[in-house]
Amino acid sequence: MADIIVVKNLIKKYGDFTAVNDISFSVKPGEIFGILGPNGAGKTTTLEIIETLKKQTSGDVFVDGINVKDHPWEVKRRIGVQLQSAAFYPELRLTELLDMFAAMYDVKVNPMEMLKKVDLADKAKNYVKQLSGGQKQRFSIASTLINQPKVIFLDEPTTGLDPQARIHLWDMVRDIKKEGVTIVLTTHYMDEAEQLCDRLAIMDHGKIIKTGTPKKFIDDLLKAGFKKEVKVEQANLEDVFLNLTGRKLRDE
Amino acid sequence: MKTQYKKPRQLKAFLKMTGYFFLAQRRNPATFAFGFIFPVVFISIFGLIGNTPQKLTIGLPAEVQRTNPIVSVIEKQPFVKIDQEEEGILENKLRQGKLSGIVDIQMANQTTPHYDVKLTTSIGNVQEGAALNSLVRGVADQANLRIAGVTNPSIIVTQSELSGRQFRYIDFALPGQIGFSLLSTAVFGTVFGLIFLKKSLVLKRMFASPTRAITILLAQGASRLISAMMQTLLILALGIFVFKFYLPHGYVTFFELLLLSAFGLVAFLGFGYFMAGLANDENSAGPLVNLITLPQFLLSGTFFPTDSLPAWIQPIANNLPLSYFNMAVRKITTEGGDITQTVPYILGLLAWGTVMYLLAAKTFKWE
Repeated sequence: MADIIVVKNLIKKYGDFTAVNDISFSVKPGEIFGILGPNGAGKTTTLEIIETLKKQTSGDVFVDGINVKDHPWEVKRRIGVQLQSAAFYPELRLTELLDMFAAMYDVKVNPMEMLKKVDLADKAKNYVKQLSGGQKQRFSIASTLINQPKVIFLDEPTTGLDPQARIHLWDMVRDIKKEGVTIVLTTHYMDEAEQLCDRLAIMDHGKIIKTGTPKKFIDDLLKAGFKKEVKVEQANLEDVFLNLTGRKLRDE
Repeated sequence: MKTQYKKPRQLKAFLKMTGYFFLAQRRNPATFAFGFIFPVVFISIFGLIGNTPQKLTIGLPAEVQRTNPIVSVIEKQPFVKIDQEEEGILENKLRQGKLSGIVDIQMANQTTPHYDVKLTTSIGNVQEGAALNSLVRGVADQANLRIAGVTNPSIIVTQSELSGRQFRYIDFALPGQIGFSLLSTAVFGTVFGLIFLKKSLVLKRMFASPTRAITILLAQGASRLISAMMQTLLILALGIFVFKFYLPHGYVTFFELLLLSAFGLVAFLGFGYFMAGLANDENSAGPLVNLITLPQFLLSGTFFPTDSLPAWIQPIANNLPLSYFNMAVRKITTEGGDITQTVPYILGLLAWGTVMYLLAAKTFKWE
């Protein structure tokens, strides 16, 4: 099956500053692909070029075989986008927002069904500002699914969430994957990358340093002779925290 | 082989967005205050100002008898109010501008009636002082003639009043208030609204959909147009039903006013988009927006006629966009003209609007 996203020699410059420096990678249909890197590595810029929100300086990007530069409208139709912060009209209710977005994507949806999918049915009449961090992100993900996209892009979906909300969100992302949607996400959490992503690209200073599966990364490192002082830990502090506070979601 | 893709449809998105943007505006307290509450408060105040006719308040020292023939004639005048107090208190009131003048009447001779009328006015209130002076002299002259037995004086002054509509301040102020609310909605609403939408990534999220940026901006404008029309209706309704604002040609004038308001708003929106492009955040937007709107509120005949401004500033004041709007509205209301007479002002507005939209196209940033 052909790659759903192909990025070739992508460069984005802002004046003298090169935010994305000649990167190439591809994403396979149905996988969760993570772009991993510290703040300022160029993750968001790369995503926004693929999402047609920014124009590249040079290079080519194809989504579902369509060149984003030539047919941005066709690409927009096929993708779902979540931005770094939940970006919605503060004076509109959740169902109203979904109804408006449905019109903007020229599709018909049942807002309540969509909210049920992300466990927000009881918040239908609320405004986004009345939601907790995790609820905002879930609503944001619901909005990416309105047009039944082939690919969704999640920009740091779990930044700022408590452990319970993160686990809940990961489960939701896995469910979306099961429905055959390709997911591209950025993160700077290693555990998120390791547990959630099928494949990763590690980015720094606008360059992709390495791509592969999380397991392969670790194997390669070990093969190269890397040794960490290992005390066999039966549990870590997160396990303790979740054991004490439970895995159940807190933000309702 | 090149695949042909169909263009995304925009109309449904435009209509839905317009509706929801309007709903969001209605729920936003700041937009609501500027668009609805301020004009209503202003109209109510101006409506009340217009309903109190000018009065002369005359101070009468405590010892003067109200039965005194001169006092009783003066007192009968419909526009006169008598304030009888101790002389010291009256003088203070005169200095504070609360009296038009003090009339002291002494009877000089007990046998044949002979009166000394002493009038005190303030240089701080020359107009009322002069009015009082002529009133008192008039009364005294008539009394003198009567006493001298002149029944057929050689000079007779008669005054005839043209029948006409009483001109009240509300008739001047209401058109100004429509302009005020339109410019506020178009500039404050658009600038702060768009800056917020840009900063909070709301616009960016919408751009990720197949709806075109220009459709989103047009829907923004259309939602403001709905708001503005409702504001105009509210101001007009309040003016007509509560303060008896005068519509020379009835409902024709009414619809002409709505039409002019819609046109005015679209022209003013150009300023909003231009400023929203110039300003990067709320902090830089504040001074910019005030720079554009305040001089217009003051100089465009919103609160007082431009005739009262110094001559050198009048060419500027008479050519501001809000002045064109106000003049057009007054042409069809206070002056009772028809809409064809507003063409020069509409052209003026059109020119301003065109320049602003061109500048906005140059400066507008989507992020």
